[in-house]
Amino acid sequence: MNPSGNSNPERGKTLVLLLTLLNMVLVATISALQVDVTVRSNQANRDSQYYAIQVTGSLVQTGAQSEFDLNTYSKWLADTQQSLVAGYSALQRHLANDQAGYERLTLESLIFQAQADQAKTLSVLLTDPAYAPASDQASPNISAYYADINANSVALVQKQNDASDAYHRWNNKSDSYVAVLTVLAIAFFLLGVAQMSQPNIRLLFSAFATGVISIGFIWTLIILIF
Amino acid sequence: MDNPQGKSDRLAIWIAVLTALVSLTTALAAWRTAALGSTAGDLIYQGMLNAVKKQAVANEDWRQAYQEAGYARDYLVFLNGLLIRENSTDPATQEQAAQLRTYLLPGMKSLATPLGTDPVYFTTGGLLNVQKRFNDLEKQSSDLSSLDPQASFSQSDNYYAEQRWLVVGTILIAVSLFWLGLSQLSHLRPRVLILVLGIIVYGVGLVWCLGVEVIFFFLRGGVL
Repeated sequence: MNPSGNSNPERGKTLVLLLTLLNMVLVATISALQVDVTVRSNQANRDSQYYAIQVTGSLVQTGAQSEFDLNTYSKWLADTQQSLVAGYSALQRHLANDQAGYERLTLESLIFQAQADQAKTLSVLLTDPAYAPASDQASPNISAYYADINANSVALVQKQNDASDAYHRWNNKSDSYVAVLTVLAIAFFLLGVAQMSQPNIRLLFSAFATGVISIGFIWTLIILIF
Repeated sequence: MDNPQGKSDRLAIWIAVLTALVSLTTALAAWRTAALGSTAGDLIYQGMLNAVKKQAVANEDWRQAYQEAGYARDYLVFLNGLLIRENSTDPATQEQAAQLRTYLLPGMKSLATPLGTDPVYFTTGGLLNVQKRFNDLEKQSSDLSSLDPQASFSQSDNYYAEQRWLVVGTILIAVSLFWLGLSQLSHLRPRVLILVLGIIVYGVGLVWCLGVEVIFFFLRGGVL
């Protein structure tokens, strides 16, 4: 029987100290990484919320703008139609030899036409070549108009989504690092128990701690890569 | 006359004092690191509040600008029709036009002012320059519209950057604590070597933290 196996109570303590040092370096590094991803997560969350505020503003603006532009177009359309109807009615009264009716309706037609002319000068849908009807019978290009005025909102929503995705990505990493730190805290506990134990048990606990440290290290690598 | 046991005891006392000092420094560095994160968070909160206020004012200004644009359009359209009535040869229509100009037009003009009456609010193409009216309304509410959320966000970025760098120093100080503890507990011969290593790591960590503080203090224009 070799008595040296149990007679040296210091056996394995240096190994435990080295493992503790390794674990501490790992914990320190992961702590720094955790702080870094938490900062990135906070910044992405902030950007996401800021873009969301800007999107609401952009939608308010485009809502007011489109309401004005469509009302102006609608006003032009109504006045133009009323002018045409009054002019046609005037012709009918003229054919019926009703001179007074003819003159009254002609004047009415002129009034509506003047109003329509003014509405047209104020309508972006009727004056901008990008949207204006190609002919009198055609309608303005409403689709192009909406695409243009909503372009800013769409771009902001895209930025908001990107920032929101980034926030979730960094936040998940931050949570994962906290989990790794918890695992490494268990390793600290195992190493502490190992240090206080009998030499044979010490090696067993050291092996357990090494396993836990390895899990934490591999997990950290996975978080870093993905 | 000193014996080896006496030297060892004195060293143990010095290590204990040093450990207490390093513990205090670690606590201070950790507090400062957390405080920096908290300050950055406060600045983000402030920036968000400013962004909401600024956007609320902009929303109201856009609403008002387009409401005025609607009044201006109605006024200008009506005015064009009125001119035809006034130029009519029919006395009844002329009389009606005069009444409209006297009793209806002033009210419409009042609502349409300044967008529908001031030539500066017309584009060269004849459209109403609602953007210019919006800009003017923003100037009138400059106490809120001039709020700058991005300035708060930039400041928060600065505090976060300092937090990142300070964490490195805090970790170094924490690691030195481990070495000091090890030298206190160790009965190994290189006890002094371990102690010196701990002091060096602590010194590097302390200088690092102080350097980070000084650099960011000046970067922020003298603000902690």
